[in-house]
Amino acid sequence: MSEIKPILNTLMRSKAGALLLILQIAVTLAIVSNAISIVSDRVDKLSEDTGYDEQGIIAFTVLTYNRNIDRAKQFKEDMAKLKEIDGVIEAMTVSSIPLSSSGGSWIISDNPDEMQGKRVDSGYIQANHRVVNAFGLKVSEGRDFEPQDESDGTDSQFPSVAIVSRAVANKLFGEGKGLNEFIYSGDNMMKIVGIVETMKSQWPDSKMGDNVMLIPIERSRMYQRVIVKTEPSKRAKIMKLIEPLLLENERQRVIIDVKGLDEAKAQTYQRDTLMIRMLVALIVFLVIITALGIFGLTHFNISKRTKQIGTRRALGARKSAIFSYFLVENTLVTLFGVIAGSIAALYLGGQLMASYNIPALDWSIVLYTGVAMLGMSLMSVYQPAKRAANISPSIATRSI
Amino acid sequence: MLNMQNIGKLYQTEMVQTQALREFNLTVNEGEFIAVTGPSGSGKTTFLNIAGLLESYSSGQYMLDGIDVGKLNDNQRSDLRNQKIGFIFQGFNLIPDLNLFENIEVPLRYRGIKAKERKRRVEHCLEQVGLAGRARHLPQQLSGGQQQRVAIARALAGEPRFLLADEPTGNLDSLMARQVMTLLEELNRAGTTIVMVTHDPELARRTPRNIQIVDGQVADFTLYQGTQAPHVNPQMSVEV
Repeated sequence: MSEIKPILNTLMRSKAGALLLILQIAVTLAIVSNAISIVSDRVDKLSEDTGYDEQGIIAFTVLTYNRNIDRAKQFKEDMAKLKEIDGVIEAMTVSSIPLSSSGGSWIISDNPDEMQGKRVDSGYIQANHRVVNAFGLKVSEGRDFEPQDESDGTDSQFPSVAIVSRAVANKLFGEGKGLNEFIYSGDNMMKIVGIVETMKSQWPDSKMGDNVMLIPIERSRMYQRVIVKTEPSKRAKIMKLIEPLLLENERQRVIIDVKGLDEAKAQTYQRDTLMIRMLVALIVFLVIITALGIFGLTHFNISKRTKQIGTRRALGARKSAIFSYFLVENTLVTLFGVIAGSIAALYLGGQLMASYNIPALDWSIVLYTGVAMLGMSLMSVYQPAKRAANISPSIATRSI
Repeated sequence: MLNMQNIGKLYQTEMVQTQALREFNLTVNEGEFIAVTGPSGSGKTTFLNIAGLLESYSSGQYMLDGIDVGKLNDNQRSDLRNQKIGFIFQGFNLIPDLNLFENIEVPLRYRGIKAKERKRRVEHCLEQVGLAGRARHLPQQLSGGQQQRVAIARALAGEPRFLLADEPTGNLDSLMARQVMTLLEELNRAGTTIVMVTHDPELARRTPRNIQIVDGQVADFTLYQGTQAPHVNPQMSVEV
């Protein structure tokens, strides 16, 4: 039996409650679908492959305040000691730690006169020739560094080769190109001898997140970053040994911020993580409020219409007819809300994209959110509709 | 048409038990028009609810048009109500958000009657109660008497063989009450069996047969020979 027309007529004659619910569903859909889009974008970013062995790498900083010490010699001894620990695969000093939001960047170009050529902002990491292996990276084109590529980075000794991420090569030389090409930064010229397909920079959530180059320079600094590549299962144990071991070698220094590379990444992404949590909380809050709204309005409608329901039952309505009446009524209201909300969601998505660094709202997210809202609406109305169906027809003859 | 044998109805709560009907016996033959009277709390509404399949009974046997009501499940009771019984309520019980046409077609929709046939029947019933031009009006736009006529039209739309009226004139002034009563008498003359619960002795006197319920039992019955000749065989019986 089709009840749609009389239900629509009823809704048109008593609009206020239905309109409020439509508005609530529309606002919820508009906000929730955009929030889901942002959360989904951020989650994609967080789960993106960085190229590094995040679970196996320990990163830390050594601040040496003893000015009389031969830091280069000291670090060589330190690295040798670290490599003696069971489970350590590699240990080396680096100019900066990837994914950590800290380090150096250059403008590099495909032309000695960078104003004439293509330019790209790129992070750089200086380390010895074993850096690719130490980071757990894979050279997808060309070759890895060799010992003779390495220098101490002084002007006369600046290395002539570099390994770059695929993103840097693509931006400077075109899709799939770049190997054996020359890049320029200031007075330095380097040949690209290797390309790593996936390698994030120190700022993975920025515009130069994929732009990074490795330069074979081993140099000691007062404020020295160090990485230790370990067997992931032994990393936690090794992490606790680092500080006492290094201080035993030389006491006049401070070991700072010993942590896994995954932890460094998590700290870099903590704003995104916080935003995800807040948006998820907002989504849950809005969905609960809307579900309660539907539940409450249906309850109210049933209480208001108790006698009417009894009369319908007296006139021959089966329990299933009363149950489906409320389901259909609610589905119609929700559908109107979903249609209005979808339009509002796409408009809001456009405004957010124009104002903030947010990807365009995918219509499929709006569609799925709308379907989920319909499902939530049916769940919210199920119990009140069951209650309505169980109203006795004898109510029709009582004075209430 | 209606046969109740030793019907008992016990309402039970945690604190009290109330015997609303006890050993209630009544037979109503096809085409009769009977008035049911009795003091407040005597069991009139309980009788009406059980007779109209609006609630179940605790004991006894109730046969409606040859069907043992006690053996029916909820859906079958709903279908039987829809097909055989018309209800007229004291408070009219029209659905305020539906116009007159939609109100009258409610029982027809539950019967699954097609739209074209529904339209024919609704228009015919509206004509029968003198409200043909007001199909699109809402109930609140009508007077009490008119609303009760709509309720009668709704009861008639399903072409029931059995009409149950609960104080049909209780909320009407005397002029309106007489008009509604006249309408019911016309329906009875046309063959509809009517059981009317009323407090009004004047109305009760207008029916060919009158029973009184006291303390949940049929206490007395009288056969009035009013101005309207009963349509039915005068051999109708009431068993007490």
